[in-house]
Amino acid sequence: MGGYTLNFRVLLQYSGLFLQGVVLTIKICVGSMIISFFLGMLLAVMRQSKSRVARFVSTVWVEVLRNTPFLIQLFFFYYGLPQLGIYVDALVVAIIALGINSSAPNCEVIRSGLMAVKTGYYEASAALGFSKFQTFTRVVLPISLRLAFKPLTSNFVNLVLTSSVCYGITLMEIMGVAKTVSARSNRPFEIYLILLVVYCIFTYLVSFVAKAIDRKIQIKL
Amino acid sequence: MQVFDFAAYARFKWSDMRMILKAMGVTLHVTLLSLAIGTLIGLILGLIRCAKNPIVNKLPLIVMEPLRNSPLIVQLFLVFFGLPSVGIRMKAMQAAVLTLSLNTAAFFAVLVHSSIKSIPEAQWEAGYALGFNKFQIYWKIIARQAIRLLIPQAITLYISQLQCSSLVSFLSLMDLSKAGQQVAQKTMLPFLIFGIVAGLYFVLSFPLARFAKYLEKRIGFTI
Repeated sequence: MGGYTLNFRVLLQYSGLFLQGVVLTIKICVGSMIISFFLGMLLAVMRQSKSRVARFVSTVWVEVLRNTPFLIQLFFFYYGLPQLGIYVDALVVAIIALGINSSAPNCEVIRSGLMAVKTGYYEASAALGFSKFQTFTRVVLPISLRLAFKPLTSNFVNLVLTSSVCYGITLMEIMGVAKTVSARSNRPFEIYLILLVVYCIFTYLVSFVAKAIDRKIQIKL
Repeated sequence: MQVFDFAAYARFKWSDMRMILKAMGVTLHVTLLSLAIGTLIGLILGLIRCAKNPIVNKLPLIVMEPLRNSPLIVQLFLVFFGLPSVGIRMKAMQAAVLTLSLNTAAFFAVLVHSSIKSIPEAQWEAGYALGFNKFQIYWKIIARQAIRLLIPQAITLYISQLQCSSLVSFLSLMDLSKAGQQVAQKTMLPFLIFGIVAGLYFVLSFPLARFAKYLEKRIGFTI
């Protein structure tokens, strides 16, 4: 290895900076998760609806988002919004862009959950005198969200991994901090290695917890 | 509302468009090369994953898991900015292709593994009963079905890798996104330029996505 010795101790002085980066990453992720979940649900319902316009809008939305890179979407919002006269913080742009971006996979997942609800449930709730709205919120949604829970969590893990791209719009989230620290300390190898491991641990933790919750909430249909 | 200032659109010259199209070539070059290499490595890793020996079939996970569970951008930076301090120096292009290929390989291996595993065990037994050896069973029974499950998923993976290839622009490689950034900065028309760039990515990947869906219906089957 060319006589190179790994030195992680040098990086300890930057731990405060890293912590700030982690906080910012969490802010981005939580914000965009909420947006992407509700937007995904809306899109899924639109896709299932009888209205042709709603189905068309949802399909185009999802296809465009899935077939263009997140980086370009991010730039589009970051540099484009000021042209429309909308001046917002980079953080807000990141949250919105990431939320919109992962609404597409969430839509697919929730939709397949919705489709898995058998017609018998609709008939049963009609027989109980539920209105259409009640049927949806009390019967269909709880079942389909349970079915969609596991793929949703894997979408959220993907979202967290994708959030590292937000470094591209000058956000000092964990990746941005890593870049700065690597320039200051001249220890890029160690830093990116740590980052790799941290992300891996995080992903494992989430999928472990998700599996445990999934076992708890599943019901026999 | 600068978007409706149509006179400004004259700032976008034909030479800028040529630059973007040329950069699209770089994107295609990086993507195709790393997809080819990644598929090959992924196939090997996936087949090792299917081995009977419980230790051997875990070995590829050592490579695959970190690649699948961390952001591509971290991997790119580790290879391009990190490895030189260990004494491994490479050009941006090499680093990009290397990282993207390994990344593709990790995801492809999972697809190979899962599509081979989804062929029921009984078919192996049937093969043995017919007096086939292991290689014959793989070749004549398993592979033919597994590949039909694999191809549509592989195309979906290829599309997502094409999107991911936009991240190589962080290595100061002149790919489609980087060219888009530069032209957008120069002409100050971000809406138009990023719209065009997104459109080009879309043109590349949407037909493929449709094709994958068609194949899934055409050659896919349920066991």
